[in-house]
Amino acid sequence: MHEIVFYIAMIWLVVLFCVCVIMIVRSKSGLVRVLCLDTLTLVLVALLMVYSITTGTAYYLDAAVVLALISFISVIAAVRYHAEGRLF
Amino acid sequence: MRAIIYDVVLIFSLFMMTLGIIGIWRMPDVYTKLHGASKSVFLGVALMALSATVIAEDSIIFRVILLILLVAVTTPISSHAIGRAAYLMQERMETPGAVDESQTLVKDQDPTWRL
Repeated sequence: MHEIVFYIAMIWLVVLFCVCVIMIVRSKSGLVRVLCLDTLTLVLVALLMVYSITTGTAYYLDAAVVLALISFISVIAAVRYHAEGRLF
Repeated sequence: MRAIIYDVVLIFSLFMMTLGIIGIWRMPDVYTKLHGASKSVFLGVALMALSATVIAEDSIIFRVILLILLVAVTTPISSHAIGRAAYLMQERMETPGAVDESQTLVKDQDPTWRL
């Protein structure tokens, strides 16, 4: 029971990841691409979190923290450069 | 018992994230896509982090709490930046019946809609 829910969760998160990738490729506007990239990073963080919690290894959560920080900084930089033409 | 609670919370958080992704897929506009991206997906991740407190040991719980505080601080800032950039780039509102009080983003605004 427990393993089945774990596998279903991993497969479903990978499906959501693929849906985010498809939305990035197909969208017309640049801001929608940035938005979908942010969502994709949150899905990846959730994937690492499910794996780490279920198997009991804490090391993947460090990668998740770093990934969330890099996603935040990259979204801010991309959006400011896209809208205002400058970073600072 | 703890494993069953963990499974139920995990499935519910997956359902929440799926609702957010469907919202981003179906909404016609950047301004409305921000709802799904900034609320539903984040709440799904937060619920998934909450499910760690049932089953995991202390090192995982502390890291998950740190991660979810970080995401809770950074998600509103990034979605506000995306919305502000959409306003600055004069991105059109495609939603039927959209109300823009600055009168610049909606071209053919129906004045009778606002009552």
